[in-house]
Parts: sequence; structure tokens; C-alpha cells
Amino acid sequence: MGSYILRRLLQSIVVVIGVTMVSFLALQAGGDPTYLFVSERASLEEIEATRRALGFDRPLHEQYLSFVGDLVQGDFGQSLSYRQPAMEIVLEALPATIELTLFAMAIALLLAIPLGVLAAIHRGTAWDGSITTMAMFGQSVPSFWLGIMMILFFGLYLRWLPISGQVPFLIPLMEGDFGTALGNLPRTILHLILPGIAVGTYSLARNTRLVRSSLLEVLEQDYVRTARSKGLPEMRVLVHHALRNAWLPVVTIVGLEFGFLLGGVVVVETVFSYPGIGRLLFAAINQRDIPLVQAGVILLAGIFILLNLLVDLIYVRLDPRMKLAEGRR
Amino acid sequence: MNLQTLVARAAGAVLFGVTVIVTACSQQPEDAIVVGLSADITTFEPGMISSRDNANIARHIFAGLFSLTSEGDHVPDLAHTLEISEDGTAYVYTLREGLTCHDGESLTAEDVAYTFNRIADPENRFTGNSPGFVFTSIGFQDAVALDDLRVQINLARKNPIAFGLITEIYIHCKDAYEAMTLDEAASNPIGSGSYRLASWTRGSEVVLEKTREPGNFQRIVWRIIPEASTRTAELISGNADIITNVVPEQVEAINGSGRAEVQVVSGTRRMYLGFSLSEGSRQMPGGEAIQDPRVRRALQYAVDVPTICRQLLSVECERATGLVNPPNGHPDLEPYPYDPSIAEVLLDEAGWSRGSDGIRFAIRLQAGRARYVNDVNIVLAISQYLQDVGLDVEVDLMEWASVYTPLLHARSMGPLFFLGTGGGLWSPIYDMTDMAEVGSSTNYTHWDDDRWFSRWVDLAEASTPEETRSIIDEMLQVFYDDGPWLHLYFQPDFYGVSNRIDWAARRDERVFLFEAGLK
Repeated sequence: MGSYILRRLLQSIVVVIGVTMVSFLALQAGGDPTYLFVSERASLEEIEATRRALGFDRPLHEQYLSFVGDLVQGDFGQSLSYRQPAMEIVLEALPATIELTLFAMAIALLLAIPLGVLAAIHRGTAWDGSITTMAMFGQSVPSFWLGIMMILFFGLYLRWLPISGQVPFLIPLMEGDFGTALGNLPRTILHLILPGIAVGTYSLARNTRLVRSSLLEVLEQDYVRTARSKGLPEMRVLVHHALRNAWLPVVTIVGLEFGFLLGGVVVVETVFSYPGIGRLLFAAINQRDIPLVQAGVILLAGIFILLNLLVDLIYVRLDPRMKLAEGRR
Repeated sequence: MNLQTLVARAAGAVLFGVTVIVTACSQQPEDAIVVGLSADITTFEPGMISSRDNANIARHIFAGLFSLTSEGDHVPDLAHTLEISEDGTAYVYTLREGLTCHDGESLTAEDVAYTFNRIADPENRFTGNSPGFVFTSIGFQDAVALDDLRVQINLARKNPIAFGLITEIYIHCKDAYEAMTLDEAASNPIGSGSYRLASWTRGSEVVLEKTREPGNFQRIVWRIIPEASTRTAELISGNADIITNVVPEQVEAINGSGRAEVQVVSGTRRMYLGFSLSEGSRQMPGGEAIQDPRVRRALQYAVDVPTICRQLLSVECERATGLVNPPNGHPDLEPYPYDPSIAEVLLDEAGWSRGSDGIRFAIRLQAGRARYVNDVNIVLAISQYLQDVGLDVEVDLMEWASVYTPLLHARSMGPLFFLGTGGGLWSPIYDMTDMAEVGSSTNYTHWDDDRWFSRWVDLAEASTPEETRSIIDEMLQVFYDDGPWLHLYFQPDFYGVSNRIDWAARRDERVFLFEAGLK
């Protein structure tokens, strides 16, 4: 197990380097960022001086190698816009995004399982049809549009929920200020409801369909038929026999869900003016703040890699056949 | 109690709780004002501030030596008097007594001199508006404290607009800034203005607290809300008192809400279609035609600017007759009327008759996207008007930041290009400095008419305001007749303002809240 984890971590270094290279080249392909840091009346001499000051006068490979060299020493560089350590800024925005992602994930999971089960056990009925139709809608509706519609209806028309912004919960919690964290909690949740639904709707729809199809497949298996023929109550057959096995593909998706949702918050954070990592990166990309984008991308890639690893390990634990395969390897 | 009743009561209690909390959250305290901005704030380092939104907040934290009123007048702020040396290269400001910075440190002439020298120090590698534009424009040399209250700013040359530009500098205290690293200074401003920074949640909000007069609110909350429809929703729901950059399509919704109204002001940004007269443009299709002032004048009649404003900006615009903002422009000039028949006659007279295909000449029109209000549609409309008088226009819309801006700085757009450049109300000469020299970084047209450029010397040597005004008007007449701009309009700015607030939007894009109050 130890060597497996080590091997996966080494592979991840290659992935991170690839990610930094792609994002670096993509940002450079957008043109010389110097122009974003000079006034519209700047002379050519001022532009050249700014280019030198920002280090964009050096050849591309030199800029990249210098960045990687610093990275190896744990230095992610300074944000060009904020003039502060890039990783520090990204880490400041991360808790807000984690709050949003966890909330969206909770919506996507806690509702998907009962809805999926309901649709599966009432296959072919109006329940099934309604849930499947809603799931189709959830997968096809763009999150930004859904966000704006919810703002108009719940925020503006009904005035039930806040339209934008965020109230921190994790930050005071991490700082040990439990009183503030608990005091903030109700307002934190209120501010999370609309963006959380906007972010989580796609996953909710997908998970619902996944649970439904997975359960339907399992319900056709011989061992379920055997359980029923033994005279076990339907609920017991469902929970103890069918769901346990239908759970496996769902676990795989759930593990990756966090990473997926984390990447999907960019537009929603902008619509809801939610100060998370997605909005930060969106602004940084527009501003060609390369160190900030790199720090954000590396952090997100790192989280995604770790989650993948975690899912694999859980999978091995849940499915003995996977453990066997690992042992043979 | 059965299960259904229990569930219904629990749901009712939750809903009541939610409503109470939301209502509490959305009620604005009377001592606070909330402003929704469209762009994020990146720094509070005085030497790095460059965007208008950033500058608007910073101006509440850092005072200037003088300040600029909404009418374009400069009034004393930290300084009460100014003496300018005879050769115009030394500006001596006398400070008010008893000034302090937010940390309690006394603000003296030494601090003002330190401010200027610190911003100019190449070691600090600042790239904001102060070092990047103001100092280079005025030829800043250095600043020296003459005594506790008098500071002298030395310039390389006489400059008629130096006084106004010096007003832009954010004054801060020496001891506080010497004790901070540049990183610390970027997020911990210790200013000299009416408000101090209470908190800054990056990407979310900036909260300022009042430290001294002027200012009617104890707290100012600047919220960053990039999405236009979300800003509008926050204004209508009462969570924001003022929002900037309202999109024209949402004006009706705000005005119809009964909770807020849109204030539309004619901004100082001059919107125009530039004629690039460079040698490079001359070699391109249409480049030769627009070298002829008669062709440029003909095209002034070809574009229906009032209709563009009404249809695409939802307002009656302030029409432009040149590059100077009203009321400082030439008093006798009228905007060119829309009359395509005159345009056709003038184009014929200039030797550019329609061919058998109805085309006079082909030409490219370049523009950036999403920079100005409804810019893409405006460019397409202009293009259609030009096609109506026989031009074959190829529209080239480009991403603003990475594609159009480099062309702008290299002055290589064109032959036709759409642009808006910031102006001011405090001096006609400030607006005219776009064309200070043929090679000026802002003379994107490469226009070189001697009747304009030779007059700058006369302007510098003019001894009376009347003489100055007369020269300005002569120059503006040349610009109107044969200039390199197709005059469009001054960009209207849209602000949403809550009915509870008494505040008037300014023309110069500055959002100053010192005089804002409750109705």
C-alpha cells in the first residue's frame, strides 16, 4: 500500500509540472501581459520599464524555468496585481470555496440518493418519470442561468435569501474563534443556499440518474431475487442487499465530485459575487496575473490528485477484487 | 399532535427564522452606506493604484494636497495655498496645521515630500497611475520639505496642467510606511483622508470607518459585485445604496422598482472613431482616402450619432465637437448633423465616387470588445452607416486586453478604429494633451497638422486667460474641421441610487461619498 501511494505521488509531480506548463503557455498565448499594468497614456519607454520590472522582458523558457526553480523551493512568486505572495492569496480564498463545494456536494448527495432510489423502485411510474425529467433538466440547465433565475425569484421577488456575498465560517473556525464561527453559521448557510444549488444541481441530477440506473441493475441480480424468494421484507432487500452493491459506482463518483464541483464554481462564484478561489482565478486570468493563476491551478490540481488517490484507496477497501488485483501487481 | 402537523410547524418555524435573519441582514444601518462596484480592488499601495474603482476607494483613505470638485474646480485639502515659481518648475504648497495620519502620526511637509519621492523611487518598481502617468506627464524631479508646513515639488519643465495632476497623488506618512514592507503597505493603508480601512475581504468587500470630516456616514462598505444583474438585484432589494456601471437594459427595471433610480450622467470619456494617418495605414485599403481632410469631414455627416445613443445606450448623449469636455470646449461649434447626402457629395468632390458596385473604397474598422457600454453593437452600427454612404467596411472586433491594447500602445490600429479616452473637467488643456505632440503616446492617429501642433508653444507662453482661451478655440476649430477624429459622444455613465440616499453622480467617474447623506 505504501509503495503504491508513493508511486502515485511521484506520478502526480509529473501531472503538476504538466499543468503549470499548459497554464503558463496558455496565459502567454493571450499576449504580452505588460499592457495590463500600464496606464492608457503610458509611453513606450514606460511600457518597456514596466515590462522589465515585471520580468516579461525575459525569454519565455527562462521565465518558466525561473518559476519552476522557485516552485521547487516552495516559492510560488508574488501576485502581479496584489503584490503579495500568490499562494497566500489563493489560500485566503480557498475556505470560502470549500464551504461552497461541501454545501453543493451535500445537496448533490443527500438528495440524489433518495431521489434515485425512489425512481428505481417506482420504475415506469409517474414518480420515475418526474424524477428523470427533473434530472434531465438539471443536467442541461447552465449553472449561471439557474443562478440568475434564483436570484430574481428567491432573492428579489420573495426576498427570502441573500443575493450575493459570503459570511465566513471556516476561517474563524480555523483561527480557533469558535464563538464567531458559530455566530456566523446561520448567515453562512443562508448565503450558501442559492450558489450551492446553482453549483450542485448538475451533480444532483447526474447522481440521481446514476443511483437509479445502478440500483435498477442490482435489483435484477439473482441474489436479490433469492433474497426476495426467502421472504425478506422489501425494505431489507433494498437496504441490505441491493443498495450495498449499488453503492460502489456512486462512491467512485462521489470521491471525484468534490474536485469536479471545485472546478465548477468559477462562473457561479462570479454570478453570486462569492469571494472564492474560482472568482479569484477568473479575475487573475483576465488580469494575466500569471503567478496567481499558477498558484491557484497548482493548488486545485493538488487537491484533485489527492482526491483521486483517496478514491482509489477507498475503492480498494470497499471492493476485495480490487485489493486482489493490487496484490497481484 | 400528528406527524403532518409537526412537520408543518417545524417548516413554519424554519421559514420564520430564515425570514427574520434575512430581514435583519438586509436592513441597512443609518450610519452606513453600501456601494456595489463592478471591478475588484487589487491594492492600497498608493504607488500601485491605477483602476478607477480602486482609486475611488483610495481617495477616501488618502487625501490630496488639493481636491477636485464635481464642477472641476480645485479646492484646498491638506494644503491651503500654492505658490508657483516664475519659470513654472517649482510648486510650493503650504499645509494646514494639525494634520495627522490614521495612526496618529503628525502629517508634515516631510511626509508629503516622502510621499512623492517614495512613489517615484525606481527601487520600489511601482507601476500605478501616479508614477506611470502623473509623474511622467509633469516631469517630476523631486520633492523637498522647506520647513514643517511647506513642501516644494520640482518639475523638469513648465506644465500648464501640473497643478491638477499633482492633486492625484495620495499623501501618506513617512514613519508608518518606512516601518512596513511593500507587501504590508499594499493591504494596510495608513492614510491621511477622512476614512481609514477597517477591513478588506479580497474579492468581496472593503469597509471604511470615518476618522474625521468630511463624511456623513460612519461606515462606507464597498462591495465587489462583478455581475451586472446581481448588482441591480442588490440595489433593488435594498442591500446596496449605490451601484456603478448599470447596463442600459436594466435601467427600466431599476426605475420601475420604486426603491431606486438610475442617474445617467454624461461622462468625461470621449468616444470617437479615429482615422489612423500613419504611413502603415496609408498602405492599407482605405488608408489613402482618409488622408484627405475632405473625406474625414464627409464621414462626420455619415453617422447618425443621436440614433445610436437612443437605440443602443437608451439616452440622449452629449455630442462631441472635439476632444475637450463641455463646458470647456469651443463655445461656437455645433455637432455635425447626420446628413448622408452631404457626406455623399463631399466624398464625390474628394474624388471618391461610387464604383459600378456602389463601393467608394474599402476600409478596415478595428475595435476592442467589452470595454465600453454596448461597444460591439455601436461599432456595428457605425460600420453600417459608413456602408450606407458607399464604404466597404471590414469590422475587426478584438479582445481588449491582450489583442487591442498592444495595438493601442504601438499606435498601430486602423485605418479606422473605435476608442474612448478619459478626459477631465478641470482644464481644456488636459483634454487636449492627447495630442500634445505628433509622437504622443495618445496620438493614436499620427495626425500631424501644423496648425494644431505649432500652437502648443503659443499656449505655453500665453500671458492671460483670455489669450489662452483664444488659442485653445483656434486649435479646436482646426480639430473640428480637419481633425483625425470622427466625433461621436461623451460616454454616458449609469449609476443606480437607492431612494434613501441623497447623492449626485459626477461626470468624471469619481465616486466620492463625502457629501452623500440620507434623504
